[in-house]
Amino acid sequence: MELTRNKQIMLTGNKAAAWGARLAGVDYVPAFPITPQTEIVETLAQWFADGHMHGKYTNMDSEHSMFMAAGAAAASGVRVFTASSSQGILYGLEALHTIAGWRVPLVLVNVSRALATPITLEPDHNDVLSLRDTGIIQLHAETAQEVLDYILMAYRIAEDPEVCLPVLVNLDGFYLSFTREPVVLPDEAEVREFLPLFKPSQPVFQASEPMARASAVFGGGNYSYFKIQHHLAAQNVVNVYQKITQEFGERFGRFYDAVERYRLDDAEYVFVMSNSFATKGKAAVQHLRKNGIKAGLLKLSLLRPFPSQIIADALAHRPKVAVIDQNLAPGMGGILYPEILKAVYRREDRPQHLLSVIGGLGGRDIQEGDFISILQRLDEAPGDDPLFLFDEKDLKQFDQLRQIAGFPREARIP
Amino acid sequence: MLRIRLHGRGGQGIKTASQILGTAAHLAGYQAQDFPLYGAERRGAPIAAYARFSKNIVLERGPIAQPDIVLIGDETLLSDPMAAVTQGTDASTLIFINSRHTSHDLKQHYQLESLPVQLDISELCQKYIQKPMILSTALAAVGARLMGRIDLHHLLQAIREELGQGRLGPEKIAANLKLAEEVFQKAPSFDLEFSESDAGFSASRLVTLERRPPVDSAPLIFATGNMALRKTGNWRTHRPVINYEECNGCAICYARCPEGDIRMDTNDKPVIDYDHCKGCLICATECPKHAIEILREVESWN
Repeated sequence: MELTRNKQIMLTGNKAAAWGARLAGVDYVPAFPITPQTEIVETLAQWFADGHMHGKYTNMDSEHSMFMAAGAAAASGVRVFTASSSQGILYGLEALHTIAGWRVPLVLVNVSRALATPITLEPDHNDVLSLRDTGIIQLHAETAQEVLDYILMAYRIAEDPEVCLPVLVNLDGFYLSFTREPVVLPDEAEVREFLPLFKPSQPVFQASEPMARASAVFGGGNYSYFKIQHHLAAQNVVNVYQKITQEFGERFGRFYDAVERYRLDDAEYVFVMSNSFATKGKAAVQHLRKNGIKAGLLKLSLLRPFPSQIIADALAHRPKVAVIDQNLAPGMGGILYPEILKAVYRREDRPQHLLSVIGGLGGRDIQEGDFISILQRLDEAPGDDPLFLFDEKDLKQFDQLRQIAGFPREARIP
Repeated sequence: MLRIRLHGRGGQGIKTASQILGTAAHLAGYQAQDFPLYGAERRGAPIAAYARFSKNIVLERGPIAQPDIVLIGDETLLSDPMAAVTQGTDASTLIFINSRHTSHDLKQHYQLESLPVQLDISELCQKYIQKPMILSTALAAVGARLMGRIDLHHLLQAIREELGQGRLGPEKIAANLKLAEEVFQKAPSFDLEFSESDAGFSASRLVTLERRPPVDSAPLIFATGNMALRKTGNWRTHRPVINYEECNGCAICYARCPEGDIRMDTNDKPVIDYDHCKGCLICATECPKHAIEILREVESWN
């Protein structure tokens, strides 16, 4: 397909991700397939083979090697893209912590898929949130358009001389990865003005210029220095992000922020959500508004660094707020809930009722009725958290599955 | 919003049909979304795809529980409870079935709530593209026509775009365009209303789970051989049939069957378990005596 000026076409989230890499003019793609990410690397492989993309595409032997290769290539001064999902991210986790510490710029995409065990293919965010503490910047996309735009902006953030960190763009498996929707494909020349071809802002590996990046340090003080610097660089991305999104908006007409405030202004009930299920939340807000209930939604887009101040401002004077975590830290609860609690804790204008909700695990649909249940709980006095979105239908279906699995049964214990 | 659900089998072009519909509606000026649902399936397994069209931005995602239109590409799916092709439908749902049977017979046989729309698109696929069960173009054309909102030229342009992405040569695309034209002319048209589901909705019946002992809370399976419960025989599009006059009982088919669906009987002759045979036809390919014939699966009733 030829590039045409700002044409709107139907793209899956995965294809939008591939277009992001193509328009960014990446030089190197180390790849390893995994459902539901495969369409991304398959598409890129085809484009490299057909000569639409220039540089090198390499099939690696695992995600661990893939992330190491990505980091090493970025350290040599080329623009790098890679993608994975779920178990693949976990398999490469050691490499991800490592390359983030190298302070090299690259962009990776995660297509969310819930983690085993039990094994599944459908999305939740325990995979991407297991990278929470790597120091990799995280942008979470709701739509295919956001996937593409975030990738372009991600390169600007990653390569910013004040940042030099990997940036991850997250999209949900199935609900976004395989879902086609209209996407404006920006013009390549315009993209190049926003994102020029890569020129490293820091020393890179090159012939006759010996240097090392993976230093060992002993004595915690030296280690602490690097970690604190990593933290400060990541924290500064809140500002860098706002500068870059502003420039992107002026150029392409699509404005982004660290969060999206959907009908928040006079909202009495707020759902805090992220990723593709935020679309369902917006639909619920519309329905509720039609029925005279002042609902709104706060969508989290920039997850790392965590834009605490922006979130606290957005939730200021909103009386009843439900944080819907599409993840679960067993023995603790939702992963994002305590982060939001921390963001608002010191504020006088914080919500009176901040409810923790866990839903959408393993791709379990969040339905309109679920939002009503959340409202009802918000109207009660704060009590036992979290509220799990698991209903009678789920239980009935599960009981049928148990029968097939051979229950009830006398347990055979040796 | 107009919601369409498509049903067929892996390999029949159901996902492509949903994409042609999505692109056609997008070209016609609607907000569109299309989405296939599949997991670890393969050729022959029931699959579903979905398409949503709206004048406003589509604020829904994922499977469609209550479709306005159901397009059934493969009639045999109506007999498979796992495929659930009529789930969420009522008398107002427009159901299309690719079949040789009449609408009245289909309604009676499958106990449908309303008279389905019927057309033998396989026959037209055979005529134009010589593949009776590659339904992508024809099923999309039926969908476009039924909705009554998509012009022929948008449909044809969508077919060019979707089939032209390096996969099909110009001659095959031309054949598909002719196929689409004839299906478009033959299928009936309905001026369906875009429904904005303003109906109030009630709270989910959430349940609070109690902690249970590990044997009840870990994903254990005690049932042995529960594959037997999932009769995959109707995944077959083609049936291997052993010609016992030619068969020398070498047992190569028995050894090669990836599903273990062939057993040797007491006379040392292979017997195929058609309840589970998925029709991969490896047995027919491997048989050194060419004693396994390949027959098209006939429809489940006549």
